[in-house]
Amino acid sequence: MIPLLGLLAGIVLGIWLEPSIPQVLQPYLPIAIVAAMDALFGAFRAYLEGTFTDRVFIVSFISNVLIAAAIVYVGDQIGVGSQLATGVVVVLGIRIFTNAAAIRRALFHA
Amino acid sequence: MDLLNQIIREPVDPDYAVAAALERGPARRRWTLGLLAVIIGALFAVAALQTTRAAPALQLERTELINRVQNAEREQDQLRGRVTSLTQEIATLRAAALGDDDAARSVETRIDALDAVVGNVGVAGPGVLIVVDDSPSATADARDRVLDIDLQVLANGLWEADAEAISINGHRLSNLTAIRSAGDAITVNYRSLTRPYRIEAIGDLRTLQARFVESSAGAWWNDLAQNRQMRYEISDVKQLDLAADPGMVLRHAGRATS
Repeated sequence: MIPLLGLLAGIVLGIWLEPSIPQVLQPYLPIAIVAAMDALFGAFRAYLEGTFTDRVFIVSFISNVLIAAAIVYVGDQIGVGSQLATGVVVVLGIRIFTNAAAIRRALFHA
Repeated sequence: MDLLNQIIREPVDPDYAVAAALERGPARRRWTLGLLAVIIGALFAVAALQTTRAAPALQLERTELINRVQNAEREQDQLRGRVTSLTQEIATLRAAALGDDDAARSVETRIDALDAVVGNVGVAGPGVLIVVDDSPSATADARDRVLDIDLQVLANGLWEADAEAISINGHRLSNLTAIRSAGDAITVNYRSLTRPYRIEAIGDLRTLQARFVESSAGAWWNDLAQNRQMRYEISDVKQLDLAADPGMVLRHAGRATS
């Protein structure tokens, strides 16, 4: 319950306060969000399986976001930023879909 | 493929299971979890806001650029019109200055003959019309499209076949004409062309088409039409009207020593 409320509060806060992201970090925001979604779905699945621990969630979330952003940053420096971003999105996308399917099965038995 | 298999088989961090087996106490970090949830929510909101905020700005920038290009083109057209009227004025002034004796008349006849050849005045007469275009399946291979060199070869072939005046999509070719690619388009006289390309050439109707087809340019285009399925139509026309090249301007003039 607390995480759901927090999520809603975060969305409201973001819309209300409209913090401006520095220009340097803007390209990494979408990638960070995809990594965050991956961590969220993974956490929800673990929660349904009864193995959820917040320590793992926090660590996996932060490391996912940082690594995804770092990969794209390095890619930008060597001129393959968009390709590496695509790679990150594909890999995380596969994981999100697999987890979403498992969650669906666990919730609706379908 | 092993990597993909592993991603699909292990979508959840295996640490969840390990950590769950280790700690069986009450959750201690509820507040960090809540904080993290707030951060994630804020991330979503900010990214969505920024994308929706940036879209109209980008659109605005685009229309602004298009407007500027169109304005510049209009201005160029006006300037070209002015060049044409000034050229006419120069011609009248020249005729007045030359006077009316025999020498002046011979100079004027020469000027009249040369004007048509160099593209200084509009000309009319019979000739051929050649319409060429990219092949219908032209998206993938750049060689299936009409390139600047193809039009160069075409124009040179027509000169070789004794064409007296040529224009491409209404742009008259002169000594100073450049046919070249700029970005995605081909430019003639520094104006970009739109497909299809209509090449009009004035010349002797009896020989022009036959000599062009026999020339190396004719062979080049035959090859393009057959092997690359480009459109290539050539036909005789009784009456063609070619405008003057507005790029032909008086660059240097001095008082005659008489």
